[in-house]
Amino acid sequence: MVKPLLSVRRYPRRVAKPMAVGMPARWPVGDLLGTLVRFGLAAVWLVSGTLKAADPEKTYLAVQAFRLLPDALAGPVAAALPFVELGLGVLVLFGVGTRVVAVLSCLVLLAFVTGIAQAWARGLSIDCGCFGGGGEVAPGQTRYPQELARDAGFLALAVWLVVRPRSLLSVDGWLGVGRRTPAGDDGDDRDEPVPAET
Amino acid sequence: MGGAERTARKRKQTTQAARAVAAARGGNDRRNVIIGVVIVVVMAVAVIGGVLYTRNNSTSGGAGDIPVTTAHAQYPTKVEDDGTVVAGNDAAKVTVDVYEDFLCPACGSFEKIYGEQVEKAVADGKIKVRYHILNLLDRYSNPAGYSLEAANAAIAAASTGKFPDFHASLFANQPKEGGKGYTQDQLVKLGQAVGISGGDFEAAVRGGKYNEQIKKQLDAASNNPALQRESAQGKSFGTPTITVNGTMIDLQDGDWLKKAIEQSGQG
Repeated sequence: MVKPLLSVRRYPRRVAKPMAVGMPARWPVGDLLGTLVRFGLAAVWLVSGTLKAADPEKTYLAVQAFRLLPDALAGPVAAALPFVELGLGVLVLFGVGTRVVAVLSCLVLLAFVTGIAQAWARGLSIDCGCFGGGGEVAPGQTRYPQELARDAGFLALAVWLVVRPRSLLSVDGWLGVGRRTPAGDDGDDRDEPVPAET
Repeated sequence: MGGAERTARKRKQTTQAARAVAAARGGNDRRNVIIGVVIVVVMAVAVIGGVLYTRNNSTSGGAGDIPVTTAHAQYPTKVEDDGTVVAGNDAAKVTVDVYEDFLCPACGSFEKIYGEQVEKAVADGKIKVRYHILNLLDRYSNPAGYSLEAANAAIAAASTGKFPDFHASLFANQPKEGGKGYTQDQLVKLGQAVGISGGDFEAAVRGGKYNEQIKKQLDAASNNPALQRESAQGKSFGTPTITVNGTMIDLQDGDWLKKAIEQSGQG
């Protein structure tokens, strides 16, 4: 009988942490915040992806304006980028593999931050095209600090979900990722088992 | 509900939970695989589907023939060694130099607003125009390089005498900046459509016959102080830039050509 043995070994370890900090076993407030963070990040990806997909020419010009990629790569990157964003948006929205998708989101956002920072450092005068549009602008009209601050905010959302991917209303929750029961968390702990107290 | 009853219920729940956990733990790997597969499938469908959708719906450049737009007047051209297309009578009293790029939207506007006046004045022998066709926006077609290919094809068309319609057609049906641009095949077909016969034109288009001259012209124009415009970032060269007898003119002045012709005493 291997399975029960395994569960006996792991079970107390899983519940030890919330008990130790004296919080309810479920941290419903944290899960609720996680949901808001997830929806926020999903909105960022879906909106920016839609705006980019709607104007592929502008998106290409925006990618070229960063002067980071060789011409042969700029086309494929500009073509794929809007749909990478939309795909991440859908996955974050439904909370599928939240931690992995949040890590991917971090990587994409870090690439954006790097692009903007190098454009600023090299003295290019461009608009990041983060939400569609973009390309070269008049030198007085760059907004690098604001663009970087905004992306840092988005990065914070993604980092939250890397550190604490659990949230309400997610496919992960429904599948029972990181939970003690395979049932989804409906945000109501009253009818769920209270382990380790007996 | 009595205390003993509650404890019993709780215990029952706990054992149920333990069983459920055992089941879930047992399925952990499988569940992770499923989630991983979902992530990969969603991303692949989004990216591949999206790119194909965009490609099919891209109107700019198009796959068909470039429509022929006839110039407002026909005029003779010759090509100088440095790739400059000289339009009109050499003896004309006014010399207009036009620096343009077939991808540049502002050049498209220039041709829309002033093209007719310029073409007619050239045909009437009042002015001659030296077209410096540049590849300033090479990076801004997708794939890159339309500016150079179009410039090369137009100069090749000029060497066959069919420049006016070829030039007018490319500007009247200008691809979007950031768009696909036209292919060599489309440029060759446009040449045939405006009446160029023989294989020399096609060879010139495909072989990039004038590419080196075009690049040198761009270098020369970019570094020519007389062609720099004042802007917030200092002086810089852009297209379209127009000079009359060597002096840069302000395109905000709608009568620039009329005035130039009047000043030369041709009314």
